[in-house]
Amino acid sequence: MARVVILGAGVAGHTAALHAKRMLGKGNEIIVISPNSKYNWIPSNIWVGVGRMSAEQVTFPLAPVYKRQGITFHQALAQEIHPEGNATTDSGYVKVTYTDATHSGEVANIEYDFLINATGPKLNFAATPGLGPDGHTVSVCTFGHATEAAKSLQEVISLMKTGKRQAIAIGVGHGTCTCEGAAFEYTFNVEHELRSAGVRELADITYITNEYELGDFGVGGLVFSQAGFQTTSKLWTESLFRERGIMAILGAHVEKIEPGVVHYELVDGTKALLNFDFAMLLPPFRGVDLKAFDKVGNEISDKLFAPSGFMKVDADYSGKPYEEWLASDWPKTYRNPLYLNIFAVGIAFAPPHQISKPRKSPNGTLIAPSPPRTGMPSGIMGKLAIISINELIKNGPTATVGTASMADMGAACVASAGSGLRVGSAASMTMYPVVPDYVTYPNTGRSVDDTFGEIGLAGHWIKLALHYMFIYKAKARFGWFLIPE
Amino acid sequence: MAMENPNESIARAPLPTEKTLKQRKNLPIQFMRFCAINLKMIRMIRKGHHPMERKVK
Repeated sequence: MARVVILGAGVAGHTAALHAKRMLGKGNEIIVISPNSKYNWIPSNIWVGVGRMSAEQVTFPLAPVYKRQGITFHQALAQEIHPEGNATTDSGYVKVTYTDATHSGEVANIEYDFLINATGPKLNFAATPGLGPDGHTVSVCTFGHATEAAKSLQEVISLMKTGKRQAIAIGVGHGTCTCEGAAFEYTFNVEHELRSAGVRELADITYITNEYELGDFGVGGLVFSQAGFQTTSKLWTESLFRERGIMAILGAHVEKIEPGVVHYELVDGTKALLNFDFAMLLPPFRGVDLKAFDKVGNEISDKLFAPSGFMKVDADYSGKPYEEWLASDWPKTYRNPLYLNIFAVGIAFAPPHQISKPRKSPNGTLIAPSPPRTGMPSGIMGKLAIISINELIKNGPTATVGTASMADMGAACVASAGSGLRVGSAASMTMYPVVPDYVTYPNTGRSVDDTFGEIGLAGHWIKLALHYMFIYKAKARFGWFLIPE
Repeated sequence: MAMENPNESIARAPLPTEKTLKQRKNLPIQFMRFCAINLKMIRMIRKGHHPMERKVK
Protein backbone atom coordinates (compact mmCIF):
# COMPACT_ATOMS: atom_id res chain seq x y z
CA MET A 1 0.00 0.00 0.00
CA ALA A 2 1.27 3.45 -0.89
CA ARG A 3 0.26 6.79 0.54
CA VAL A 4 0.06 9.67 -1.92
CA VAL A 5 -0.07 13.13 -0.35
CA ILE A 6 -1.15 16.06 -2.52
CA LEU A 7 -0.46 19.61 -1.37
CA GLY A 8 -3.05 21.98 -2.82
CA ALA A 9 -6.55 21.61 -4.23
CA GLY A 10 -6.50 23.93 -7.22
CA VAL A 11 -6.66 22.81 -10.83
CA ALA A 12 -3.43 20.75 -10.66
CA GLY A 13 -3.86 19.32 -7.16
CA HIS A 14 -7.58 18.56 -7.41
CA THR A 15 -7.16 16.95 -10.84
CA ALA A 16 -4.34 14.82 -9.41
CA ALA A 17 -6.48 13.81 -6.43
CA LEU A 18 -9.46 12.67 -8.49
CA HIS A 19 -7.31 10.74 -10.97
CA ALA A 20 -5.32 9.22 -8.10
CA LYS A 21 -8.42 7.68 -6.61
CA ARG A 22 -9.56 6.45 -10.02
CA MET A 23 -6.21 5.09 -11.24
CA LEU A 24 -4.47 3.88 -8.13
CA GLY A 25 -7.50 1.99 -6.92
CA LYS A 26 -8.13 0.41 -3.55
CA GLY A 27 -5.21 -0.37 -1.32
CA ASN A 28 -3.55 3.00 -1.80
CA GLU A 29 -4.31 6.01 0.34
CA ILE A 30 -4.86 9.45 -1.16
CA ILE A 31 -4.55 12.50 1.08
CA VAL A 32 -5.18 16.10 0.04
CA ILE A 33 -3.87 18.95 2.18
CA SER A 34 -5.19 22.42 1.41
CA PRO A 35 -5.64 25.48 3.63
CA ASN A 36 -8.86 26.31 1.74
CA SER A 37 -12.18 24.62 2.38
CA LYS A 38 -13.51 25.42 -1.10
CA TYR A 39 -12.57 24.67 -4.68
CA ASN A 40 -12.48 27.83 -6.81
CA TRP A 41 -12.80 27.71 -10.60
CA ILE A 42 -10.50 30.69 -10.96
CA PRO A 43 -11.07 31.49 -14.68
CA SER A 44 -14.63 32.58 -13.83
CA ASN A 45 -13.46 34.97 -11.10
CA ILE A 46 -13.37 37.57 -13.89
CA TRP A 47 -17.17 37.43 -13.99
CA VAL A 48 -17.40 37.64 -10.19
CA GLY A 49 -15.20 40.74 -10.40
CA VAL A 50 -17.77 42.56 -12.55
CA GLY A 51 -20.80 41.26 -10.63
CA ARG A 52 -22.00 38.85 -13.33
CA MET A 53 -21.50 35.79 -11.12
CA SER A 54 -21.59 35.24 -7.37
CA ALA A 55 -18.80 33.66 -5.36
CA GLU A 56 -21.09 30.64 -4.82
CA GLN A 57 -21.26 30.05 -8.57
CA VAL A 58 -17.48 29.66 -8.88
CA THR A 59 -16.83 27.64 -5.72
CA PHE A 60 -17.99 24.53 -3.88
CA PRO A 61 -16.92 22.82 -0.63
CA LEU A 62 -14.15 20.27 -1.12
CA ALA A 63 -14.86 18.02 1.88
CA PRO A 64 -18.09 16.39 0.57
CA VAL A 65 -16.47 15.61 -2.79
CA TYR A 66 -13.44 14.01 -1.15
CA LYS A 67 -15.65 12.09 1.29
CA ARG A 68 -17.68 10.67 -1.62
CA GLN A 69 -14.49 9.75 -3.48
CA GLY A 70 -12.81 8.13 -0.48
CA ILE A 71 -10.03 10.73 -0.39
CA THR A 72 -8.77 11.93 2.99
CA PHE A 73 -8.89 15.71 3.26
CA HIS A 74 -6.93 17.79 5.75
CA GLN A 75 -7.82 21.46 5.73
CA ALA A 76 -4.37 22.59 6.69
CA LEU A 77 -1.42 24.68 5.59
CA ALA A 78 1.71 22.74 4.65
CA GLN A 79 4.73 24.44 6.22
CA GLU A 80 7.64 22.01 6.10
CA ILE A 81 8.71 19.08 3.96
CA HIS A 82 11.00 16.49 5.55
CA PRO A 83 11.83 14.24 2.56
CA GLU A 84 14.24 12.04 4.56
CA GLY A 85 12.08 11.75 7.67
CA ASN A 86 13.69 12.43 11.04
CA ALA A 87 15.42 10.59 13.89
CA THR A 88 12.36 8.41 14.54
CA THR A 89 11.17 7.66 11.00
CA ASP A 90 12.76 7.12 7.61
CA SER A 91 9.53 8.03 5.86
CA GLY A 92 9.19 11.48 4.30
CA TYR A 93 6.58 13.66 5.93
CA VAL A 94 4.93 17.06 5.71
CA LYS A 95 4.42 19.24 8.76
CA VAL A 96 1.07 21.00 8.57
CA THR A 97 -0.95 23.46 10.64
CA TYR A 98 -4.72 23.02 10.51
CA THR A 99 -6.88 25.93 9.36
CA ASP A 100 -10.39 24.52 9.86
CA ALA A 101 -12.51 25.83 12.73
CA THR A 102 -12.34 22.60 14.76
CA HIS A 103 -8.57 22.06 14.72
CA SER A 104 -7.31 25.56 13.95
CA GLY A 105 -3.69 26.00 14.96
CA GLU A 106 -3.05 22.30 15.65
CA VAL A 107 0.13 20.88 14.12
CA ALA A 108 0.59 17.40 12.63
CA ASN A 109 3.19 15.42 10.69
CA ILE A 110 1.70 13.54 7.73
CA GLU A 111 3.91 10.84 6.23
CA TYR A 112 3.96 10.05 2.52
CA ASP A 113 5.36 7.59 0.02
CA PHE A 114 4.77 10.00 -2.86
CA LEU A 115 4.30 13.74 -2.57
CA ILE A 116 2.74 16.04 -5.18
CA ASN A 117 3.42 19.73 -4.61
CA ALA A 118 0.51 21.57 -6.25
CA THR A 119 0.41 24.50 -3.86
CA GLY A 120 0.01 27.13 -6.57
CA PRO A 121 1.40 30.61 -5.99
CA LYS A 122 1.75 32.95 -3.08
CA LEU A 123 0.07 36.20 -4.16
CA ASN A 124 3.01 38.48 -3.53
CA PHE A 125 1.24 41.80 -3.05
CA ALA A 126 4.07 42.81 -0.70
CA ALA A 127 6.45 43.11 -3.67
CA THR A 128 4.85 46.44 -4.61
CA PRO A 129 4.06 48.91 -1.83
CA GLY A 130 0.38 49.83 -1.83
CA LEU A 131 -0.66 46.95 -4.10
CA GLY A 132 -3.70 44.81 -3.38
CA PRO A 133 -6.79 44.71 -1.20
CA ASP A 134 -4.75 45.73 1.87
CA GLY A 135 -3.39 48.66 -0.14
CA HIS A 136 -5.10 50.84 -2.71
CA THR A 137 -6.07 48.44 -5.52
CA VAL A 138 -8.44 45.51 -5.97
CA SER A 139 -7.70 42.02 -7.28
CA VAL A 140 -9.59 39.14 -8.91
CA CYS A 141 -7.12 36.41 -7.88
CA THR A 142 -9.50 34.81 -5.36
CA PHE A 143 -13.29 34.71 -5.24
CA GLY A 144 -13.16 36.92 -2.13
CA HIS A 145 -10.99 39.49 -3.87
CA ALA A 146 -13.24 39.39 -6.95
CA THR A 147 -16.36 39.98 -4.84
CA GLU A 148 -14.74 43.10 -3.34
CA ALA A 149 -13.64 44.23 -6.82
CA ALA A 150 -17.25 44.03 -8.04
CA LYS A 151 -18.39 46.22 -5.13
CA SER A 152 -15.71 48.82 -5.88
CA LEU A 153 -16.61 48.78 -9.56
CA GLN A 154 -20.27 49.39 -8.73
CA GLU A 155 -19.28 52.41 -6.63
CA VAL A 156 -17.36 53.83 -9.59
CA ILE A 157 -20.30 53.18 -11.93
CA SER A 158 -22.62 54.95 -9.47
CA LEU A 159 -20.35 58.00 -9.51
CA MET A 160 -20.31 57.99 -13.31
CA LYS A 161 -24.10 57.90 -13.31
CA THR A 162 -23.97 61.23 -11.49
CA GLY A 163 -21.88 62.58 -14.39
CA LYS A 164 -18.45 62.28 -12.73
CA ARG A 165 -15.62 61.21 -15.05
CA GLN A 166 -13.57 58.30 -13.70
CA ALA A 167 -10.10 56.95 -14.47
CA ILE A 168 -9.81 53.16 -14.50
CA ALA A 169 -6.47 51.33 -14.43
CA ILE A 170 -6.31 47.59 -15.00
CA GLY A 171 -3.27 45.41 -15.49
CA VAL A 172 -0.36 43.95 -13.57
CA GLY A 173 1.22 45.42 -10.48
CA HIS A 174 4.89 44.47 -10.93
CA GLY A 175 7.47 44.00 -13.66
CA THR A 176 7.66 40.24 -13.15
CA CYS A 177 3.94 39.41 -13.06
CA THR A 178 2.29 36.61 -14.99
CA CYS A 179 -1.38 36.02 -15.94
CA GLU A 180 -1.56 39.04 -18.27
CA GLY A 181 -4.43 37.19 -19.97
CA ALA A 182 -6.55 37.60 -16.83
CA ALA A 183 -5.80 41.34 -16.71
CA PHE A 184 -6.74 41.56 -20.40
CA GLU A 185 -10.03 39.76 -19.69
CA TYR A 186 -10.90 41.99 -16.78
CA THR A 187 -10.14 45.14 -18.81
CA PHE A 188 -12.62 44.19 -21.52
CA ASN A 189 -15.23 42.90 -19.09
CA VAL A 190 -15.15 46.19 -17.21
CA GLU A 191 -15.41 48.09 -20.50
CA HIS A 192 -18.39 45.90 -21.45
CA GLU A 193 -20.08 46.55 -18.08
CA LEU A 194 -19.58 50.31 -18.44
CA ARG A 195 -21.22 50.22 -21.85
CA SER A 196 -24.09 48.14 -20.45
CA ALA A 197 -24.53 50.70 -17.67
CA GLY A 198 -24.59 53.53 -20.23
CA VAL A 199 -21.57 55.33 -18.74
CA ARG A 200 -18.76 54.26 -21.06
CA GLU A 201 -18.09 57.79 -22.34
CA LEU A 202 -17.31 58.92 -18.80
CA ALA A 203 -14.51 56.38 -18.29
CA ASP A 204 -10.85 56.60 -19.26
CA ILE A 205 -9.65 52.99 -19.24
CA THR A 206 -5.91 52.27 -19.25
CA TYR A 207 -4.33 48.83 -19.45
CA ILE A 208 -0.92 48.85 -17.74
CA THR A 209 1.29 45.83 -18.27
CA ASN A 210 4.82 44.48 -18.16
CA GLU A 211 4.34 43.06 -21.69
CA TYR A 212 6.60 44.78 -24.21
CA GLU A 213 3.91 44.44 -26.88
CA LEU A 214 0.16 43.95 -26.68
CA GLY A 215 -0.83 40.32 -27.27
CA ASP A 216 2.33 38.96 -25.64
CA PHE A 217 0.36 37.28 -22.80
CA GLY A 218 3.60 36.08 -21.22
CA VAL A 219 4.15 33.56 -24.02
CA GLY A 220 6.03 35.87 -26.38
CA GLY A 221 2.92 36.51 -28.49
CA LEU A 222 1.40 34.28 -31.12
CA VAL A 223 1.55 34.04 -34.89
CA PHE A 224 -1.43 32.48 -36.60
CA SER A 225 -3.12 32.35 -39.96
CA GLN A 226 -6.27 34.35 -40.60
CA ALA A 227 -8.09 35.00 -43.89
CA GLY A 228 -5.16 33.69 -45.90
CA PHE A 229 -2.48 35.70 -44.09
CA GLN A 230 -0.17 35.11 -41.18
CA THR A 231 -0.97 37.67 -38.52
CA THR A 232 0.19 38.33 -34.96
CA SER A 233 -1.57 38.48 -31.64
CA LYS A 234 -0.06 42.01 -31.36
CA LEU A 235 -2.00 43.34 -34.34
CA TRP A 236 -5.08 41.41 -33.35
CA THR A 237 -5.03 42.72 -29.76
CA GLU A 238 -4.28 46.30 -30.85
CA SER A 239 -7.31 46.11 -33.10
CA LEU A 240 -9.49 45.17 -30.13
CA PHE A 241 -8.02 48.02 -28.06
CA ARG A 242 -8.78 50.46 -30.88
CA GLU A 243 -12.32 49.15 -31.31
CA ARG A 244 -13.08 49.49 -27.58
CA GLY A 245 -11.20 52.76 -27.05
CA ILE A 246 -8.78 51.48 -24.40
CA MET A 247 -5.35 53.04 -23.84
CA ALA A 248 -2.25 51.04 -23.02
CA ILE A 249 0.99 51.45 -21.11
CA LEU A 250 3.46 48.72 -22.08
CA GLY A 251 6.76 47.48 -20.69
CA ALA A 252 5.90 48.85 -17.26
CA HIS A 253 7.11 47.94 -13.80
CA VAL A 254 4.77 49.30 -11.13
CA GLU A 255 7.01 50.66 -8.37
CA LYS A 256 4.43 51.67 -5.80
CA ILE A 257 0.84 52.68 -5.43
CA GLU A 258 -0.42 55.59 -3.42
CA PRO A 259 -4.11 56.46 -3.05
CA GLY A 260 -5.29 57.20 -6.59
CA VAL A 261 -1.80 57.11 -8.16
CA VAL A 262 0.26 54.33 -9.76
CA HIS A 263 4.00 55.05 -9.90
CA TYR A 264 5.65 53.12 -12.70
CA GLU A 265 8.87 52.78 -14.65
CA LEU A 266 9.11 51.85 -18.32
CA VAL A 267 11.67 49.63 -20.04
CA ASP A 268 13.39 52.78 -21.37
CA GLY A 269 13.89 54.03 -17.80
CA THR A 270 11.18 56.71 -17.97
CA LYS A 271 9.25 57.13 -14.73
CA ALA A 272 5.67 58.37 -14.75
CA LEU A 273 2.38 58.45 -12.85
CA LEU A 274 -1.03 57.06 -13.70
CA ASN A 275 -3.98 58.52 -11.81
CA PHE A 276 -6.92 56.26 -11.06
CA ASP A 277 -10.28 56.17 -9.34
CA PHE A 278 -10.52 52.37 -9.66
CA ALA A 279 -7.56 50.04 -10.15
CA MET A 280 -7.37 46.27 -10.50
CA LEU A 281 -3.73 45.24 -10.66
CA LEU A 282 -2.64 41.62 -10.39
CA PRO A 283 0.21 40.76 -8.01
CA PRO A 284 3.40 38.92 -8.93
CA PHE A 285 3.57 35.29 -7.87
CA ARG A 286 6.20 33.47 -5.84
CA GLY A 287 6.30 30.04 -4.28
CA VAL A 288 4.34 29.51 -1.08
CA ASP A 289 6.17 29.69 2.25
CA LEU A 290 7.23 26.06 2.37
CA LYS A 291 10.57 25.03 3.87
CA ALA A 292 12.46 21.76 3.55
CA PHE A 293 14.70 19.97 6.08
CA ASP A 294 16.99 16.93 5.95
CA LYS A 295 16.96 14.02 8.36
CA VAL A 296 18.95 15.79 11.07
CA GLY A 297 16.95 18.99 10.79
CA ASN A 298 19.23 21.12 8.60
CA GLU A 299 17.34 23.37 6.24
CA ILE A 300 17.64 22.28 2.59
CA SER A 301 15.09 24.66 1.08
CA ASP A 302 17.66 25.98 -1.40
CA LYS A 303 18.11 22.44 -2.74
CA LEU A 304 14.41 21.80 -3.27
CA PHE A 305 13.30 25.27 -4.28
CA ALA A 306 14.47 27.95 -6.72
CA PRO A 307 15.05 31.48 -5.35
CA SER A 308 11.51 32.30 -6.53
CA GLY A 309 10.19 29.77 -4.01
CA PHE A 310 8.92 27.41 -6.72
CA MET A 311 10.06 23.78 -6.58
CA LYS A 312 12.91 22.53 -8.76
CA VAL A 313 12.02 19.69 -11.10
CA ASP A 314 13.70 18.05 -14.11
CA ALA A 315 14.37 21.34 -15.93
CA ASP A 316 17.62 23.03 -16.94
CA TYR A 317 18.23 25.65 -14.25
CA SER A 318 21.77 26.49 -15.38
CA GLY A 319 20.71 30.10 -15.94
CA LYS A 320 21.95 30.37 -19.51
CA PRO A 321 21.14 33.59 -21.41
CA TYR A 322 17.63 33.98 -22.79
CA GLU A 323 18.91 33.80 -26.39
CA GLU A 324 20.41 30.35 -25.75
CA TRP A 325 17.48 28.56 -24.17
CA LEU A 326 15.86 25.61 -25.85
CA ALA A 327 12.44 24.03 -25.65
CA SER A 328 14.21 20.93 -24.28
CA ASP A 329 15.17 22.91 -21.15
CA TRP A 330 11.59 22.62 -19.93
CA PRO A 331 10.64 19.83 -17.51
CA LYS A 332 9.10 16.63 -18.78
CA THR A 333 8.36 14.49 -15.72
CA TYR A 334 8.00 17.18 -12.99
CA ARG A 335 10.01 15.02 -10.55
CA ASN A 336 12.34 16.68 -8.10
CA PRO A 337 15.86 15.56 -9.09
CA LEU A 338 16.99 15.01 -5.47
CA TYR A 339 13.90 13.20 -4.21
CA LEU A 340 12.31 11.28 -7.03
CA ASN A 341 9.14 10.56 -5.03
CA ILE A 342 8.33 14.30 -5.00
CA PHE A 343 6.56 15.92 -7.95
CA ALA A 344 5.75 19.61 -8.46
CA VAL A 345 2.94 20.49 -10.87
CA GLY A 346 1.00 23.54 -12.03
CA ILE A 347 2.29 26.90 -10.86
CA ALA A 348 4.30 25.19 -8.09
CA PHE A 349 7.15 24.03 -10.35
CA ALA A 350 9.99 26.43 -11.12
CA PRO A 351 10.11 27.35 -14.82
CA PRO A 352 13.65 27.31 -16.24
CA HIS A 353 13.32 30.73 -17.88
CA GLN A 354 10.85 33.27 -19.22
CA ILE A 355 9.08 32.64 -22.53
CA SER A 356 8.69 36.36 -23.24
CA LYS A 357 12.00 38.12 -23.68
CA PRO A 358 13.11 39.58 -20.33
CA ARG A 359 14.26 43.20 -20.42
CA LYS A 360 16.03 45.51 -17.99
CA SER A 361 15.53 49.25 -17.80
CA PRO A 362 18.64 51.49 -17.77
CA ASN A 363 18.04 51.70 -14.01
CA GLY A 364 18.50 47.93 -13.74
CA THR A 365 14.82 47.14 -13.15
CA LEU A 366 13.82 43.72 -14.47
CA ILE A 367 10.67 43.87 -16.61
CA ALA A 368 9.91 40.32 -17.62
CA PRO A 369 6.52 38.60 -17.84
CA SER A 370 6.72 35.22 -16.10
CA PRO A 371 5.52 32.15 -18.01
CA PRO A 372 1.88 31.20 -17.43
CA ARG A 373 1.37 27.57 -16.37
CA THR A 374 -2.25 27.50 -15.30
CA GLY A 375 -5.43 25.90 -16.63
CA MET A 376 -5.07 23.13 -19.16
CA PRO A 377 -1.30 22.55 -18.69
CA SER A 378 -1.80 22.43 -14.90
CA GLY A 379 -4.49 19.78 -15.20
CA ILE A 380 -2.36 17.71 -17.56
CA MET A 381 0.62 17.88 -15.20
CA GLY A 382 -1.57 16.80 -12.26
CA LYS A 383 -2.83 13.78 -14.19
CA LEU A 384 0.68 13.01 -15.45
CA ALA A 385 2.05 12.85 -11.90
CA ILE A 386 -0.57 10.22 -11.03
CA ILE A 387 0.17 8.20 -14.19
CA SER A 388 3.84 8.19 -13.18
CA ILE A 389 3.13 7.31 -9.54
CA ASN A 390 0.92 4.44 -10.74
CA GLU A 391 3.86 3.08 -12.74
CA LEU A 392 6.23 3.52 -9.79
CA ILE A 393 3.87 1.72 -7.41
CA LYS A 394 3.38 -1.18 -9.84
CA ASN A 395 6.92 -1.56 -11.14
CA GLY A 396 9.16 -0.06 -8.48
CA PRO A 397 11.55 2.91 -8.50
CA THR A 398 13.12 2.03 -11.86
CA ALA A 399 9.77 2.10 -13.67
CA THR A 400 9.33 4.31 -16.70
CA VAL A 401 7.31 7.46 -16.05
CA GLY A 402 5.17 9.66 -18.29
CA THR A 403 6.24 12.95 -19.82
CA ALA A 404 4.31 16.12 -20.63
CA SER A 405 6.63 19.00 -21.44
CA MET A 406 5.00 22.39 -22.02
CA ALA A 407 7.20 22.48 -25.13
CA ASP A 408 5.27 19.46 -26.42
CA MET A 409 1.84 20.44 -25.15
CA GLY A 410 -0.84 22.61 -26.67
CA ALA A 411 -3.21 24.89 -24.81
CA ALA A 412 -6.62 26.32 -25.49
CA CYS A 413 -7.46 29.66 -23.92
CA VAL A 414 -10.69 31.62 -23.99
CA ALA A 415 -10.29 35.21 -22.80
CA SER A 416 -13.62 36.83 -22.01
CA ALA A 417 -14.22 40.30 -23.43
CA GLY A 418 -17.72 40.75 -22.04
CA SER A 419 -20.55 38.67 -20.62
CA GLY A 420 -24.04 38.03 -21.97
CA LEU A 421 -25.63 35.18 -23.94
CA ARG A 422 -26.45 37.45 -26.90
CA VAL A 423 -24.08 40.36 -26.43
CA GLY A 424 -21.02 38.76 -24.84
CA SER A 425 -17.74 38.15 -26.60
CA ALA A 426 -14.44 36.43 -26.02
CA ALA A 427 -11.12 35.87 -27.72
CA SER A 428 -10.71 32.14 -28.36
CA MET A 429 -7.08 31.11 -28.79
CA THR A 430 -5.16 27.90 -29.21
CA MET A 431 -1.41 27.52 -29.31
CA TYR A 432 0.86 24.61 -29.97
CA PRO A 433 3.20 24.21 -28.25
CA VAL A 434 2.87 26.49 -25.22
CA VAL A 435 6.66 26.90 -25.00
CA PRO A 436 7.93 27.82 -28.48
CA ASP A 437 10.15 25.21 -30.10
CA TYR A 438 12.37 26.97 -32.64
CA VAL A 439 14.08 23.70 -33.59
CA THR A 440 10.84 22.08 -34.80
CA TYR A 441 9.15 25.33 -35.91
CA PRO A 442 12.05 27.60 -36.97
CA ASN A 443 9.98 30.61 -38.09
CA THR A 444 7.54 31.26 -35.29
CA GLY A 445 8.36 28.62 -32.68
CA ARG A 446 4.85 27.22 -32.96
CA SER A 447 2.73 25.37 -35.47
CA VAL A 448 0.87 28.09 -37.39
CA ASP A 449 -1.84 25.58 -38.32
CA ASP A 450 -2.51 24.74 -34.67
CA THR A 451 -2.22 28.28 -33.35
CA PHE A 452 -5.24 30.44 -33.90
CA GLY A 453 -7.32 33.28 -32.51
CA GLU A 454 -10.84 34.57 -33.09
CA ILE A 455 -13.09 37.12 -31.39
CA GLY A 456 -16.85 36.77 -31.17
CA LEU A 457 -19.96 35.72 -29.28
CA ALA A 458 -19.08 32.05 -29.88
CA GLY A 459 -16.06 32.51 -27.61
CA HIS A 460 -18.30 33.66 -24.78
CA TRP A 461 -20.50 30.57 -25.20
CA ILE A 462 -17.38 28.40 -25.08
CA LYS A 463 -16.09 30.07 -21.91
CA LEU A 464 -19.50 29.67 -20.29
CA ALA A 465 -19.67 26.01 -21.37
CA LEU A 466 -16.17 25.44 -19.97
CA HIS A 467 -17.26 27.01 -16.66
CA TYR A 468 -20.11 24.52 -16.18
CA MET A 469 -18.16 21.59 -17.64
CA PHE A 470 -15.10 22.02 -15.42
CA ILE A 471 -17.12 22.59 -12.25
CA TYR A 472 -19.07 19.40 -13.10
CA LYS A 473 -15.75 17.60 -13.56
CA ALA A 474 -14.26 19.02 -10.35
CA LYS A 475 -17.32 17.83 -8.43
CA ALA A 476 -16.49 14.32 -9.74
CA ARG A 477 -19.98 13.83 -11.11
CA PHE A 478 -20.90 10.86 -13.32
CA GLY A 479 -18.37 10.39 -16.14
CA TRP A 480 -16.16 13.31 -14.97
CA PHE A 481 -12.99 11.62 -16.19
CA LEU A 482 -14.26 11.71 -19.79
CA ILE A 483 -13.88 15.49 -19.74
CA PRO A 484 -10.28 16.28 -20.72
CA GLU A 485 -8.04 18.48 -18.58
CA MET B 1 16.06 54.98 -26.52
CA ALA B 2 12.45 55.95 -25.86
CA MET B 3 9.76 53.35 -26.43
CA GLU B 4 7.15 53.84 -29.12
CA ASN B 5 3.93 55.20 -27.71
CA PRO B 6 1.66 52.11 -27.77
CA ASN B 7 -1.40 54.28 -28.29
CA GLU B 8 -0.02 55.45 -31.64
CA SER B 9 0.37 51.83 -32.65
CA ILE B 10 -3.18 51.08 -31.45
CA ALA B 11 -4.48 54.02 -33.50
CA ARG B 12 -2.97 52.43 -36.63
CA ALA B 13 -4.39 48.94 -35.93
CA PRO B 14 -7.12 47.57 -38.23
CA LEU B 15 -10.55 48.71 -37.11
CA PRO B 16 -13.29 46.12 -37.66
CA THR B 17 -16.05 47.26 -39.98
CA GLU B 18 -19.71 47.36 -38.98
CA LYS B 19 -20.19 44.17 -41.00
CA THR B 20 -17.47 42.38 -39.03
CA LEU B 21 -18.88 43.57 -35.72
CA LYS B 22 -22.36 42.38 -36.72
CA GLN B 23 -20.97 39.01 -37.78
CA ARG B 24 -19.35 38.66 -34.36
CA LYS B 25 -22.84 38.86 -32.80
CA ASN B 26 -24.86 37.10 -35.49
CA LEU B 27 -26.42 34.03 -33.87
CA PRO B 28 -26.35 31.59 -36.86
CA ILE B 29 -22.80 32.61 -37.81
CA GLN B 30 -21.63 32.40 -34.23
CA PHE B 31 -23.25 29.00 -33.77
CA MET B 32 -21.22 27.75 -36.73
CA ARG B 33 -18.09 29.37 -35.30
CA PHE B 34 -18.89 27.76 -31.92
CA CYS B 35 -18.83 24.34 -33.59
CA ALA B 36 -15.70 25.14 -35.62
CA ILE B 37 -13.74 26.53 -32.65
CA ASN B 38 -14.72 23.56 -30.53
CA LEU B 39 -13.38 21.21 -33.20
CA LYS B 40 -10.11 23.15 -33.29
CA MET B 41 -9.89 22.98 -29.51
CA ILE B 42 -10.62 19.26 -29.43
CA ARG B 43 -7.75 18.78 -31.88
CA MET B 44 -5.54 20.88 -29.61
CA ILE B 45 -6.62 18.98 -26.50
CA ARG B 46 -5.76 15.70 -28.20
CA LYS B 47 -2.32 17.02 -29.07
CA GLY B 48 -1.94 18.42 -25.56
CA HIS B 49 -2.69 15.11 -23.92
CA HIS B 50 -0.66 12.98 -26.28
CA PRO B 51 2.71 13.50 -24.57
CA MET B 52 1.51 11.52 -21.55
CA GLU B 53 1.66 8.40 -23.66
CA ARG B 54 5.42 8.80 -23.99
CA LYS B 55 7.46 7.46 -21.17
CA VAL B 56 11.02 7.85 -19.97
CA LYS B 57 13.21 5.99 -17.51
